[in-house]
Amino acid sequence: MAEMWISMGPQHPMTHGLWTLKVKVDGETIVDADPELGYLHRSVEKMGERRKYFMNTTLTDRLCYASSTTWTHSYVVAVEELMEVEVPTRAQYIRTVMLELQRLASHLMWAGAYMPDLGHITGALYFWRDRELFLNLLELPSGSRLLYNYIRIGGVKRDLPDGFQEKTERILTLFEQRLDEYADLFENSKIFRMRTEDVGKFTGSQAMNLGITGPNLRGCGVKHDLRRDDTYEIYEEIDWDICTREAGPGYSDCFSRYMVRIDEMRESVKIIRECFKKMPKGPTMSSRVPVRASGEAFRRTEDSRGEALMYLVGDGSDRPYRWKIKSPMFTTISACPYYLKGYKLADIPAIMGSIDICIGETDK
Amino acid sequence: MNFKDLQKLLKANEGVTNISTLRENVIKFDLDKSISKEFFKKLKEEYYFEHCSLITAIDNQPDFELVYHLSCLSGELSVGNTKMAAMVEVHIHLTRDSPSIDSVSDLWFGANWHEREAFDLMGIYFIGHPDLRRVLLPEGFAGHPLRKDYVYEIHEEEW
Repeated sequence: MAEMWISMGPQHPMTHGLWTLKVKVDGETIVDADPELGYLHRSVEKMGERRKYFMNTTLTDRLCYASSTTWTHSYVVAVEELMEVEVPTRAQYIRTVMLELQRLASHLMWAGAYMPDLGHITGALYFWRDRELFLNLLELPSGSRLLYNYIRIGGVKRDLPDGFQEKTERILTLFEQRLDEYADLFENSKIFRMRTEDVGKFTGSQAMNLGITGPNLRGCGVKHDLRRDDTYEIYEEIDWDICTREAGPGYSDCFSRYMVRIDEMRESVKIIRECFKKMPKGPTMSSRVPVRASGEAFRRTEDSRGEALMYLVGDGSDRPYRWKIKSPMFTTISACPYYLKGYKLADIPAIMGSIDICIGETDK
Repeated sequence: MNFKDLQKLLKANEGVTNISTLRENVIKFDLDKSISKEFFKKLKEEYYFEHCSLITAIDNQPDFELVYHLSCLSGELSVGNTKMAAMVEVHIHLTRDSPSIDSVSDLWFGANWHEREAFDLMGIYFIGHPDLRRVLLPEGFAGHPLRKDYVYEIHEEEW
């Protein structure tokens, strides 16, 4: 049969944001792909060079609409490394709680978006109902529901409000029961497994070379998580495990990547509980936060989607001279010809959905 | 291999200068442009840096600087007794009149789009890159906006 190019996007239900996936098909089989980005490019790096260090947290919030706290945090730890700021212990605990709440909200957002990709609208309603609970929790200390701007250079904006711990505990207990319910609804569903198993396979060593990190890499059985491997905040003092899954020896498929994220949600619940147990009293903001910085610094953090890296160069003024953002999805999308080839056209939503795309951070 | 041994091995290489330890698990050094490709190949194949985290282009006016962040994800390079993942930060100096360097996208596929981005926003040419097009800006866009001498057409507001 003659080969032809099909353009999916920029307006397509599969894309989860604005981007174009051009696929070359031979009948129903994909033989090549060419992803195209740039529809959401806002030039965050250049804008950041014209704003003061503390102003940029509003920009980093807008890097990813599903996971804004983790991106702001990534920027803030890089600035703190550059300015050599010491963060009070209580602020570090609060940050960890907020990061894990954000990770839960982000994974639920992804799961809710993935289900309609597979034709399972009920899944979207269930997962987004639960995401609402965590948005309510994130709203309590920060005052907003999507872009929090809560983590600041030197600490956090304000202390946790009264009764936050009790409310969180109540919601976590409810959420754990819900996760058990979802195991019946999705993991044991024959149709869900038929759509996701043995689709979109890549091996762990391939993934490292392609630049795929985060849950997608852990779905291949690689025990790599920057929360432990390049530890920050108080993850070292807390007892938690890196979740890995495998579809087969050393490779992942859509189902194993789904399961890694479900496991990570359970782990996040555990981390939040531990944090509350150990959280000390004290100040939540460093007493010394400089305005100017010189030199260069970088920090890697584990975003909900993989390895986030912020590299900053200061020239002694109050604005960054160069600010570079590494987005995990940027490289993961670039590698999509590798894990799409050989599958059917109808598998594209299942595969591209399973890697958890966020175009906001990708296009910067 | 231990991370401390890596530092000794780096010292024995020609073209590697200014070796310093940024953190327990990060080594930073300058690399000569002329030997960059073969040295990157060595880093990947002998020193287990199988993941290219980031390529940053900096306009230092007048010259350019490229910063490569390479990491070891598999844990083959151990950092003392910790579980930390090893990383190197490689700085390469480029002159303004010939901002070009050998591409590493055949070593790490993950570097492919980082190089395209550096080309797109900073105008660095990567020799041997399979598909050096603009990635974020549209085809036909004039200039490279992250360069410090790029002039905005719009009125710039001072914050």
